[in-house]
Amino acid sequence: MTTSSILSALTGKGIISQEQADAIADFHADRPFSVHWELRSILYMGILLFSTGTGILIYENIDTIGHQAIIAAITCLTIACFYYTYKNSLPYSNEAVKNPNKLVDYVLLLGCTTFLGLEGYLQFQYNVFGSRYGLAVMIPTILFFLCAYRFDHRGALSMAITGLASWLGLTIAPLSVLSANDFTDAKLIYMAIALGAVLVCVGWISEEQNVKKHFAFTYLLMGGNLALLATQVGLSSHAPKVVFFLIGAGLCYFFILRARRAQSLIFLLMGTVYGYVIITYTIFVNLGADAALGLGIFYFLFTSVGVIYFLLNFKKFLGIKK
Amino acid sequence: MKKAYNQTWIEHMYIQSTASEWVSKNLLTKEQEAEVKEVFEEKFYRPGIFVKIGLFFFAVIACSFFVGFVSLFFYDTGSEVGFSLLSLICCACFTFFLEHLIKTNKLFHSGIDNALLYAAVTAAMVPVFLLFENADTWFYCLLGLAILVPVILRYADLLAVIVAFGLLFLFMSSLMVKFPLGKALLPFGIMALSAAVYFFARKIRSIYYTACRNILEILALVTFYLGGNYLVVREGNAMMNDLSAAIAPQISFAPLFYFFTLAIPAFYIVAGLKKGNRILLVIGLLAFAFSVHTYFNYFSPVTGSQLLAGGGMLMIILAVGLIRYLHTPKHGISDEQEGKRKFGDLEAILIAQKLGQTPAESGLEFGGGEFGGGGAGEVY
Repeated sequence: MTTSSILSALTGKGIISQEQADAIADFHADRPFSVHWELRSILYMGILLFSTGTGILIYENIDTIGHQAIIAAITCLTIACFYYTYKNSLPYSNEAVKNPNKLVDYVLLLGCTTFLGLEGYLQFQYNVFGSRYGLAVMIPTILFFLCAYRFDHRGALSMAITGLASWLGLTIAPLSVLSANDFTDAKLIYMAIALGAVLVCVGWISEEQNVKKHFAFTYLLMGGNLALLATQVGLSSHAPKVVFFLIGAGLCYFFILRARRAQSLIFLLMGTVYGYVIITYTIFVNLGADAALGLGIFYFLFTSVGVIYFLLNFKKFLGIKK
Repeated sequence: MKKAYNQTWIEHMYIQSTASEWVSKNLLTKEQEAEVKEVFEEKFYRPGIFVKIGLFFFAVIACSFFVGFVSLFFYDTGSEVGFSLLSLICCACFTFFLEHLIKTNKLFHSGIDNALLYAAVTAAMVPVFLLFENADTWFYCLLGLAILVPVILRYADLLAVIVAFGLLFLFMSSLMVKFPLGKALLPFGIMALSAAVYFFARKIRSIYYTACRNILEILALVTFYLGGNYLVVREGNAMMNDLSAAIAPQISFAPLFYFFTLAIPAFYIVAGLKKGNRILLVIGLLAFAFSVHTYFNYFSPVTGSQLLAGGGMLMIILAVGLIRYLHTPKHGISDEQEGKRKFGDLEAILIAQKLGQTPAESGLEFGGGEFGGGGAGEVY
């Protein structure tokens, strides 16, 4: 299928006129080849390599440069980044802000990063915060939350959420929730569930109240993932199991229902998969080993077909009209 | 071979996507696009990537427990014949479900059909491996290809194409390494086969196999380059001859491979820009990066950090210079933004990974989402 065959099909059906078809054909004939994304990728890779290389160079030559000079340089860079972001930002709005200046996003991210680096450097070299680690984590967290809302930046928001979680002693990054958290401690599980639930609520409220609606995704994904994984761990290792089961099932139900309104299919998947695991686990634990072995094959065969049926027809089940 | 998916709908899908691309260039009106959608309709079930993953996941579970279910009816799954029979029956059932679901649920690479297809192919392979024990590698490759080629022709599945490509190269290499001369000429054999595959792929015109064609082109270009790359040849040569020296010894025809390492990426890039072929261009750029790595692996006048800083600096200067230079299109090349930004999230995650604190998934937005912002209205 070529452009000309599509054009003749379209003119044949009377959707476009012959003149329009000619115009489109002309446009295709002498359209220049765009290397926009290739150039941008080279640029970003260059920035990444350059900053990494410079960082290592500074580290290797720290004796000749001196700590004060480096701290001064990082401070200047951080201030410059925030100043640039502030100067080029648009006024606050509850909606998503569409800034035509795309560079601002990256500069803010760079500023946030260098701020973290600066703080870490000060603590490591001069022990500024002493043993008040909470304060050391809280300062960037508050700053990032402010930046996220003021400059409308989802990257800063997720950095702030990460900071908030680490203030409570948790790791929230979706892929390392299980590997990086020590969930043998029951207190930490409750903490994780509580934080996750709060984040989910915040996400829900921001969508309901129309305050930075597009932030809801980040809140829901990070919070929901943390809370659901924590309930799974709680369900398998701690009593009272009923509480964990109810919390987990409730959250899954919330996510599946939410998919109806927001059409966010990742939440549908999250709700389905976590819900499946929770229910399956509960059934098999209560049945005992012998019955589980006998039933296993039939159970998994029929339930997975059932889930597939649900996923294939979820629009019908949830009442979504296309 | 009769095709499994509705060819007309695939054509219509292509027409629709072309039409929406034209809309973003202001060549068509929104009303015309809606009309196109109506006249050239397609009814494939194509859920988002996440539902696809879920469907695939649960279909795999269902398939594996289906095997368990069927095996309940067999007394002697321990014996080879019994097990072969079991897998053949499973293969037949999977194929039946696959065909049935494609027809009734209008699937189009929607997760379930992928899972069923892989399950069926795996089940078909099992008896082959059980019946021909201790055969040569090339023989297994040939049998695998004999199963995969009809599958590809019918279902146009990407993973099947990738595996078949791998089997083809394994087939040739396992034959060539049997002879001393073949071993020495292996790089040239790989390059020749890659070239053949590439020109074969370029000949595929059917819209049904577009994705397969693209993946074949990419793979062939990559293997052609790697076959001529100095580092790969030198290290591979040492590995194949079990030379356990700390540094792989120099190879024969070294200057020829120096030339290939440099010339192939350059040729890819120039040809890609001249013909407006994005696959050639991007593979060429990546190949060039690997060539740089090859050079500094053997001749290193600077330390790693200096190389990173210097290389990064050069890349920044080059990119900024070209962006400035191409502000107005020159030589048929432009810096105009096309389509929406697909990898924005990936960039954010890449940068975020560097921070230690990982704000993953900073802005994956699905469903309603922002659409059609991109390059709209910039042309006219």
